[in-house]
Amino acid sequence: MKHFLIFIILTGLFACKKEIIKTEWIGLSYPSYFPDPVYKFNNNELTVQRFALGKKLFFDKNLSLDGTIACASCHAQSHGFADHNVSFSSGVGGALGTRNSPSIANMIWSPSFMWDGGVNHIEVFSVAPITNPLEMKETMAHVVSKLNADSEYLILFKEAYGVSQINDQVMLRALTNYMSMIVSCNSKYDKVKQGKASFTTLENNGYTLFQAKCATCHTEPLFTNYSYINNGLDSVFTDLGRARITFNDLDRGKFKVPSLRNVTLTYPYMHDGRFWTLDQVLDHYSEGIKPSSTLHPSLVDGIPLSIDEKSAIKAFLGTLKDNELLNNRLFY
Amino acid sequence: MKSIIFKSVAAVAVFAFILSSCKKDTQEPETTTGNGQVSVKLFHHWGMESTKFQMNTDYTHPMNGDTMSFSTYKYYISNFRLKKSDGTWWKHPESYFLVDLSNEASTTLSLGSIPAGEYIEMSYVLGVDSLRNVSGAQSGALSPSNDMFWSWMTGYVMIKAEGQSPQSSTGNFAFHLGGFSGQYSVVATKSVTFSNPLTITTGKTSEVHFDVNTAMTWCTSGSCAGTSSVMMPGAAAFQMATDFHNGFNFDHIVE
Repeated sequence: MKHFLIFIILTGLFACKKEIIKTEWIGLSYPSYFPDPVYKFNNNELTVQRFALGKKLFFDKNLSLDGTIACASCHAQSHGFADHNVSFSSGVGGALGTRNSPSIANMIWSPSFMWDGGVNHIEVFSVAPITNPLEMKETMAHVVSKLNADSEYLILFKEAYGVSQINDQVMLRALTNYMSMIVSCNSKYDKVKQGKASFTTLENNGYTLFQAKCATCHTEPLFTNYSYINNGLDSVFTDLGRARITFNDLDRGKFKVPSLRNVTLTYPYMHDGRFWTLDQVLDHYSEGIKPSSTLHPSLVDGIPLSIDEKSAIKAFLGTLKDNELLNNRLFY
Repeated sequence: MKSIIFKSVAAVAVFAFILSSCKKDTQEPETTTGNGQVSVKLFHHWGMESTKFQMNTDYTHPMNGDTMSFSTYKYYISNFRLKKSDGTWWKHPESYFLVDLSNEASTTLSLGSIPAGEYIEMSYVLGVDSLRNVSGAQSGALSPSNDMFWSWMTGYVMIKAEGQSPQSSTGNFAFHLGGFSGQYSVVATKSVTFSNPLTITTGKTSEVHFDVNTAMTWCTSGSCAGTSSVMMPGAAAFQMATDFHNGFNFDHIVE
């Protein structure tokens, strides 16, 4: 009888796991030309159980106050893990955030998080959206109590972390396991890098122009150098950006350089989602830079681009779309 | 020549092996010195009042004259260490405590498994050391569920004091003093040298008493009429935290 019960429990577990993971688990992989990740998985080794648990949490609307918003609500795989093409995301009760929800792909290479770099570690990143009154509007303590009241979660956490009671540390670590796997490294650009494809003439021209005019900040292969710069959006700042964290006037109007991977899907652009097309973005850099005391020195005269040059750069940016990530069944 | 070296090495190895096996046979469990405990007892009071601090009670500030009643008063203390008379330090592992004045039990901190002996100095940190502020998700006293964690700018609040004051324009006050780096870090390492050494005896608990003047936090900041809220790191938080630190003092030992 005892054995039979164990058998039933095991079958149940197996069924759960099968439900969460629909494809083969191969763990973390990325190309040799990527740097070493910043996140080292200390005390949080990547496992299929932890990933599957993190995935369940990522899609769980109960992480929000009224059960309406999940992490996935504003970080959608189909949109490169950014929001569904809105300037500001809707939180509990329809509240609107104040900054554009960015892509969360390739997080393990990021030394800081948020547009202003206010969060210093991937494991504590999720506390911000969960507790922000304009987003999921919850408290960590209440989320943890909801999880502890759920028998399925109790089994999954036991299996993943060996704990009989759930706390926020293991919850955050499980979410980190899931987010860590969201790696964008299979775009056409990557295939070209690996000698498996080649650029069209237009894309190739765009790549050359990109390397000359954009790559200082949008550095390959992650397409960001993770610095904070004022890219000339405004002369008067309604959002202080990085200065909100450092309290340094020299950081006013500076925001983290975003990655450009999947950029054709992640519109609208900039920290406040003010530009809806890549044309508008390129026009901004070419002829729309606004002066201010903290403007990045390389942008003082803008980055003049001809119409043909803009088309070529746009063609190149299209090669950063990663269809394999967008369609990978591991994540949904 | 080579073979002589080899032979001597081999001989030494055999000898060492015999020695080590002898040692193993004769080794006995340590009985000479065991472990004792320290109970750190924190006595909180308001200004010059000698009675125990009470939550949700009207107090008059001795310097700025404000009436203040507290609904929240909690702070972190961490990294207890004890210095032996021979100059070596014993470190309390995972030494993080959240003292919550609405929870009497949290005002006694247990430091266990201290090797018996005489200790001449105790060191501790008010707040959470910078390393734990940058090391990802923590648990226990450091769990973000304790509501002492800033999510928008990663870091622990050193002290959180909230309540009501008629002097405040809103009727309320809220002071969340944090920041772990730079010139305005509110994290402070403090130490006390014992004039009579603290003796840790096997199987016994010694008490180290501290006196905490809860009113000190506002001794420079002035009335809630001027500032009734501090929610970010900076000069104001630093000043108030420093004043709190100065109100936190060793009192006596009970062995």
